[in-house]
Amino acid sequence: MEQTEVMKPETLNDLIKVLHQIFSSDTVNVEEVQNLMESYESKPEEWMEYAQFDKFRYTRNLVDEGNGKFNLMILCWGEGHGSSIHDHTDSHCFMKLLQGQLKETLFEWPDHKINGGMTKKSERVLQENQCAYIHDSIGLHRVENVSHTEPAVSLHLYSPQFDQCNTFDQRTGHRNTVKMTFWSKYGERTPFTYYCGKHIVKVALCVQ
Amino acid sequence: MDVYEGLEGEKVLNLSRLNLDNLDLDDVGEERKRDTQQLFLVYNRFIMLPGSICHFSNLVFLDISCNRLAFICEDILRLSKLKTLVAKNNRLDEFSLPKDFGTMSLEVLNFSGNRFEEFPSEFLNLQRLQSLSLGGNRLKSIPAEIEQLTSGSKVLVYHGFRPECATKLYMQITVQLALQFSLMCNVILRHFSLIIQTQTDFTKLKHAALHILELLYLGGNSITSIPPELANLPYLSYLVLCDNRIQSIPPQLAQMNSLRSLSLHNNLLTYLPREILSLFQLQELSLRGNPLVVRFVKDMTYDPPSLLELAGRTVKSRNLPYKPEDLPGNLVRYLDLASKCPNPKCGGVYFDSCVRHIKFVDFCGKYRLPLMHYLCSPECSSPCSSNPQSDADSEDESSVPAHRMQKVLLG
Repeated sequence: MEQTEVMKPETLNDLIKVLHQIFSSDTVNVEEVQNLMESYESKPEEWMEYAQFDKFRYTRNLVDEGNGKFNLMILCWGEGHGSSIHDHTDSHCFMKLLQGQLKETLFEWPDHKINGGMTKKSERVLQENQCAYIHDSIGLHRVENVSHTEPAVSLHLYSPQFDQCNTFDQRTGHRNTVKMTFWSKYGERTPFTYYCGKHIVKVALCVQ
Repeated sequence: MDVYEGLEGEKVLNLSRLNLDNLDLDDVGEERKRDTQQLFLVYNRFIMLPGSICHFSNLVFLDISCNRLAFICEDILRLSKLKTLVAKNNRLDEFSLPKDFGTMSLEVLNFSGNRFEEFPSEFLNLQRLQSLSLGGNRLKSIPAEIEQLTSGSKVLVYHGFRPECATKLYMQITVQLALQFSLMCNVILRHFSLIIQTQTDFTKLKHAALHILELLYLGGNSITSIPPELANLPYLSYLVLCDNRIQSIPPQLAQMNSLRSLSLHNNLLTYLPREILSLFQLQELSLRGNPLVVRFVKDMTYDPPSLLELAGRTVKSRNLPYKPEDLPGNLVRYLDLASKCPNPKCGGVYFDSCVRHIKFVDFCGKYRLPLMHYLCSPECSSPCSSNPQSDADSEDESSVPAHRMQKVLLG
C-alpha cells in the first residue's frame, strides 16, 4: 500500500529512516523520493561531519548504504569544481542541494553518426534544497560549481548502488569507463584506495 | 575553502548577520579580546575595516566577507598574528589596501568576488603566503613579477652543509634558492656567512621578496595571457585560470613539476603546447569550453627555407667548425639562434622556417588533446615521446609507463 501522506523529515536522520522504509519495497516511486528529499530543509550542523572538502577536486563522502538498496552520499564542491559528463549505469540518481548552487548541463547520448561534439540538451542552476533526478533514459549530465566565491554541498542518492560508470569527452563523444571512489565513509577519511585508468589498484597501507 | 578547524568556545567570536556597520567592542571583555583567535563579521554592513579590530591582538583568522568593504585601514597591520584573511564579496580594489600590507604574515588570503582590476603589488611582498584567491574579480593580466612568490621551505635541506663545500654548493643552486639563503641569514648567520662572501649579487638578493605559494585561484577574471614567469613558482600545486580569455599556454608552464591540478576550462584555447606532457604530477586538468581543434589541417603552403637558413642548418647539423672571427657578427648571432628539432631521431635544427604540427594525444584522463609543436620540415615526423600510441583511437595502457597513469575519479 502506498503512503498517501509523506511526513516531512525534520532531520537528516529522519530522512534516512524514511528512505530505508521506502526502499524496502522492490519498486521505486521517483516522484515520492524526489519530493521527500526536497522537503528536508538542509541544516548544516546535521551533515557537517560528512562535508569534507579537497582543494583540488570535488569529493564523495558516503553517509549511508541503505541496507544494500541505495547509496546516500554527500558531495563537496570547492569553487570552480566540476565533474565530467557521465552516465549512471542504469541506476536512479537523486541530487539535492544542501548548500550553495550547482549547474547541471544535460546532454544527449553521443551519436556516432554525427561527427563532432555532444549535443547539449539544457542547463539549469539548482538552488539550495532543490532536488534533481536523472536516469540514463533521460540522458547524461555534467554537474559543476560555477561560483568562484562559494563552495557547494549536495546530497546524492543512487539506487541500485554502483561503483563504476562512463565518462564522455564533450568534443568527440569518446567514452571511458571509470571506477568511483569515496573520499570518506561515515565521516571518516578513507584515503588508501586508488584507481588508475581502467584498472583498480587497491593500495592497502599496512600500519606497522 | 578557507575553513579554520579545531577551535571552539572562547577563541571564536561570531558577529555575523547582525547588521553591523561599526564594531563597538564595549561589551566585549578584555580577556575575550585577548583570547579570540577567530573572528567572523560575515554578512554585515561594514564599508571600512573597523579600526577597533586591532584590539583582538591574538587574532589568527578573520572573515569579513559579504559586507560593503571598500577600504582596509592601516590598523590591520597591528594584527601581527593574523594568518588567514577572508574578505569575499566586497567592493575592494587595488587602491583599498594600506601601504605596508605586504609586511603582514598572512598565509591564506581570499579576496574573491571583489573589484580588483590589477594584481595588487602589495601581495607580491607577502613572504608567508601559501594560498591566494582572486577569483571573480576584474583582473586583465597577471604580472611577470609574480615569480617573486617562491618558496622558502626547501632551504632546510641545505642547512647542514660544511663550510668547505660552500662555494661549490652556491654554484649549483638556482638564483631562487640563493634568495632563500639570504632570508635564512637573518636567523642563522654563522652557517651562511661563507655563502654571503661568495655571492657577488648579494645586494640584489637582499632586497628580493621571498614567498611560499601553493594555491593560486584566478578564475572568473578577464585575463588574456599567462606570463611565463608564473612557471617560476616552484611549489604551486593548484592553479586555477578557468573562465578567462586565455588564448595560449606558454610552454614554460611545463617546468612546474609541482603542479597537481590545472583548471583551464572556459577559455579561448585552440591547442596546448606539447611540453605540457612533462607535467608528470598533473592529476586534474579541466579543458571544457575551449575551442580546441578536433582536426588539424596540415598547412600545405610551406614556405621553403631561404638560402641563409639552409646554410645555417648545414653548419649546425654537420657541426662545421667556425670561430667568431671567421664570420660577420650578424651571422654569428644568427647561428646562435638555431632551435633543435623536437624529433629525437632528427639531429636537425631550424631557424625561422619551421612547420607547426598538431598531434592528438591522450593525456591526464583526456582524450585526443591537440598538442602543438614545431618541426624542421614537413617530412620530419613528430616525436611525442611520452605516448607512442598517440594516433590510436584508444590508449594502449600497457605502453604508458606506470608513473604517467592518472587517477580518473568521478562522482
